[in-house]
Amino acid sequence: MSVFTPDLISGLISNFIQFILLLLLAPLSGGIIKKVKALSQKRKGAPVLQMYFDLWKLIRKESVVSDTASWIFKVTPYIVFSASATAALLVPVTTLLPSAVSGDILLLIYLLALGRFFMCLSALDTGSTFGGMGASRESMISALIEPSMLVSVFTVGLISGSTAIDEMMAAMRTIGNPLLHPVYILCFFAMIIIILAETSRIPVDDPSTHLELTMVHEAMLLEYSGRQLALMEYGAAIKQLIFLTLLVNLFLPTDQLIALAGISGASAAVDAVGVAGITAGAGAAGAVTGTAASAVSAAAVIVALVLYILKIILASLVIAVTEISTVKFRFFSIPNLAALSFILAFLGFLQYFVLGR
Amino acid sequence: MMDSYFDILSALILLSSFLLMSHKRIKSYIKTFRIQSSLIALTAGIMGMDSLIREGSFDILIVCVIIVLLKVIYIPRLLHRTYGTVEYKVEKDFYLNIPLLILICCGLVVFAYFSVSNIGSLDGAHLNLQVVNSLSVILIGFFFMISRKKAIGQMIGFLVIENGIFVTAFFSTHGMPFVVDIGIFIDMITAILIMGVMVTRINEKFESINLDKLKNLKG
Repeated sequence: MSVFTPDLISGLISNFIQFILLLLLAPLSGGIIKKVKALSQKRKGAPVLQMYFDLWKLIRKESVVSDTASWIFKVTPYIVFSASATAALLVPVTTLLPSAVSGDILLLIYLLALGRFFMCLSALDTGSTFGGMGASRESMISALIEPSMLVSVFTVGLISGSTAIDEMMAAMRTIGNPLLHPVYILCFFAMIIIILAETSRIPVDDPSTHLELTMVHEAMLLEYSGRQLALMEYGAAIKQLIFLTLLVNLFLPTDQLIALAGISGASAAVDAVGVAGITAGAGAAGAVTGTAASAVSAAAVIVALVLYILKIILASLVIAVTEISTVKFRFFSIPNLAALSFILAFLGFLQYFVLGR
Repeated sequence: MMDSYFDILSALILLSSFLLMSHKRIKSYIKTFRIQSSLIALTAGIMGMDSLIREGSFDILIVCVIIVLLKVIYIPRLLHRTYGTVEYKVEKDFYLNIPLLILICCGLVVFAYFSVSNIGSLDGAHLNLQVVNSLSVILIGFFFMISRKKAIGQMIGFLVIENGIFVTAFFSTHGMPFVVDIGIFIDMITAILIMGVMVTRINEKFESINLDKLKNLKG
């Protein structure tokens, strides 16, 4: 019983709230992107919440499995979904809330890679030609984009002195505006290319196509139906939201602005001690003071969550505009894009050494 | 505060030369060159406003206006016109593939970093960073010139070298004497005009602007 200190319990509760928030928001960003694209083509488009309806419909449907499929095919949707969900557990939505699970960013990257690996396996499993093609393309893209992802993550980690996600976000908060810093702006651009490649967006892969020549991610989902398809698509949506969250929370931190605005309670939380403020306050005090402290910081937390949702909408708009204004690359041009992204991350790394901070 | 703006602008100028390296078509070369020149004009504009406020001199602002007129508007248009007169033929314009070219450029940046860090008289992290970035632009311009086969690509390479030299001088001295700047600009525009005429002539004579074809004997 002594293991469950009040700190740990409040941390776990806040982790759980953030996890639920991520799961609930996940289909939204895809909906926003689709809506903006439809409006740009002078169509009315599906409603923003369409993916929720789709998932709800798919979950109630029966799924059909090919006779030649082995257990890998059946188990993959659960692995993909649970890998994405576990990764979502590691990503803090706001640094104002205490966190009991301190996730390492390498764990996050390779959890998502585990899901991708099983997705490729299941695509090969049924022996359909499209599945094999999609799997081979997906593995090539992921192999190309992995170095740049690692270098940009390590650059941010090197400066913040940690690879734990919440500590990285807390360190980025102290920088002020990271986009006015040569190291971070290069990592930011690298990260945008990484997101486009990882979440199968347009210069790399077209998420709305079912044309056999161009599809990559869709080709791997072609054999799935019903609940299994719902799990796979939900997993992909969560993955996309995780990357967007990393982008906005690392490179557009807003939590320090709440402290500047002087919303009560937040300034205590965002001082040098950081997140420990709330936890210590809530933990050490008795019932009365504890509720008072959490009631004071509730306003700040709500503002932080609203800001987070606004930032996610903004990032989705940026991705939608990128999708509208570019064309899909020829498959063998993707190494050029990956090289550019790697170079961006590497230059950021180099600038850090030249600047010497 | 000024220094952090210059840091980021120098990084973006370096980035634009990498972007130039990753392009395959002449039209995108010209577009990227225009972006790079606009960034340089922005740098000159910021520094010009600063010197106007501090010393009341218009020199750098005039240089900024000249950059906008010359490098952002006139030279890209001239290149477009030259490109329009020559025969349009899609063919591979470079000797190595693009990822390899980009990695070699990355090596050039590391080389620039090591050579600048040995100069010693450059003190201050900001100045060091800006000089490393702009020196890398010069080296990448050279490399762009030798990696492209066609004449227009090589003209762009020459212009990138010129941009790099301008930016290096600019960051390390915070504004050169006005006469020197004007002299460089006149030099450059003469060179570009001559090159434009040359490209048209080469195209007339050899029916291509691929400089490899110059090795062929003509009777």
